[in-house]
Amino acid sequence: MDFLNLLARLADLDSTTAAPHLAAPRRAALGRLGQAGTALLPGLLLGALSQPATAGTLDTRTRLDVLLLVRQLAALGNELHSRALGLVAGYPALPLTATEKAGIQVIQQQEAQRVALFSQLITDGGATLPTTPRYDFTGSRNGTQTALYPDIQTNPATYLLVAQVLKDVAVRVYKSQVDFVRADAYLTETLLRSHSAEARHAAHLRTLRRQRGATVKSWISPDDAPVAAASPAIAKVYEGESSFTQTYNASGANGQGGALVSVPFDSTLPINVATPPLSAEAILRKVAEAFDEPADAIVATNIAALFTY
Amino acid sequence: MADLADTSFSGRALRRRTFLRVAGATAASSALVLAGCGNDDDDPTPGPDAGTGTLVLAANDTGILNLTYLLAQIQASLYQKVVTTPPSDFTAADTAAFVDMRDHEVIYREFYKSVLGTSVYDNGLITALEFNFTPYTLTTRKGAYEAARTLEDLAVGAYNGLGRRLANSSYLRLLLKITSVKARHAAFVRDQVEFNSFAGPDVITPTGNQAGLDTIKTPAEVAKLLAPLVPIVLVADNLMTL
Repeated sequence: MDFLNLLARLADLDSTTAAPHLAAPRRAALGRLGQAGTALLPGLLLGALSQPATAGTLDTRTRLDVLLLVRQLAALGNELHSRALGLVAGYPALPLTATEKAGIQVIQQQEAQRVALFSQLITDGGATLPTTPRYDFTGSRNGTQTALYPDIQTNPATYLLVAQVLKDVAVRVYKSQVDFVRADAYLTETLLRSHSAEARHAAHLRTLRRQRGATVKSWISPDDAPVAAASPAIAKVYEGESSFTQTYNASGANGQGGALVSVPFDSTLPINVATPPLSAEAILRKVAEAFDEPADAIVATNIAALFTY
Repeated sequence: MADLADTSFSGRALRRRTFLRVAGATAASSALVLAGCGNDDDDPTPGPDAGTGTLVLAANDTGILNLTYLLAQIQASLYQKVVTTPPSDFTAADTAAFVDMRDHEVIYREFYKSVLGTSVYDNGLITALEFNFTPYTLTTRKGAYEAARTLEDLAVGAYNGLGRRLANSSYLRLLLKITSVKARHAAFVRDQVEFNSFAGPDVITPTGNQAGLDTIKTPAEVAKLLAPLVPIVLVADNLMTL
């Protein structure tokens, strides 16, 4: 099964139409793909040798790259929530209500569980874990620059906003990472199940913010009050989320090659069922709400970088 | 460690057994097979609204998308029912949330129908299937949210189980775009029934080597859970071979 998947993916790379912006030499890509059926360690070596992704090149990440990324995001969230709950020495608990705390504990504990799971998968694969980063959630990089969120350790509203942003970006990035682990059914399922758990957390944090008066739905909506772009990295987190364009490729059994089909939400599909019907613009806002968009790994690593020094 | 969460030995045994039965019974098609006379004696699961059809989902992307289409039909229908006749204790915020979720599900339903084209299972049916929501109490706020919770959690589990079975990666990308919105629905409605239950131990594995991971259901489990709601016999065993 995995071997057949691998063959299918090799065939995909042979199709020039499948990757019009394929910049890396095919041989390098094939070498990287060859790691899919083996231990993670060779992937580590290749990952270390590979150049940083540049705009327009095909991202060819290994399973190890993916695991390191999702572990990094889980560890970042675990630390943010642990500090908010007063679990980290030197960081007094935020003045959250008891009810809010109870929910955030659930999130923190599940983050910690996923850090443990991803760490286990990385070490089982023969790779070593990276050293624990130093975090500064004010975004001041330990006082070396102006803080983005100076009151994050005292103001629940600021903390909940940052927590929401981290969850929403994680949900987006999980989607793009699944593409790189599809040959591995176990890891695919693990990512899918982490992805939906992250979305549950994101929705809860949005609900908490709404209860405190923020204009925000539990799902990402064009009706949400925009998140202030405290930095260019933050601005990227919601970029493209308001799209109502969805496409797929039905030409090939594996969805590669051939023409993209655009779903006709703005023309023929009978989706406007409200009484009275919504305006054309309003129903397309619902379409945008109904689909969470993927984002490249770099969007999340840039967010992590804001809070790491 | 590397065992798939949704593949148990009993599941494999069931798969073999039922596959033979289904393979002998029909071609591997997702068409709704309508029995001409509707003899209740032949119906293995007669119910108050038991229909006369059997839907055998094919072992391919078309079969998978027909299942997600059916889920969207059921959920759109449920939310529409609540929006049309809201419980007396519904607030404006409750109605707004149900309208949003109704609109999302209608969008999914029509999206899947559009992708499936003539392969949609109910192509050619004169009237759409009517779903049976009598297992739920839709006349109270609590009951409406509990029904939503059951179906949203089921959908999240179903989507998590279907993802790896899709061959077409462009379909998988769309499925993932929808999965997280369904998980947001699920978390929201769970919090309305019982605050802070958004990621409770009945959906997120609390301990062991899958701790922290969300619910996952096999297609056969999904079909079994949907059985009381659909007026047809739903056979998803072919999807177990994927």
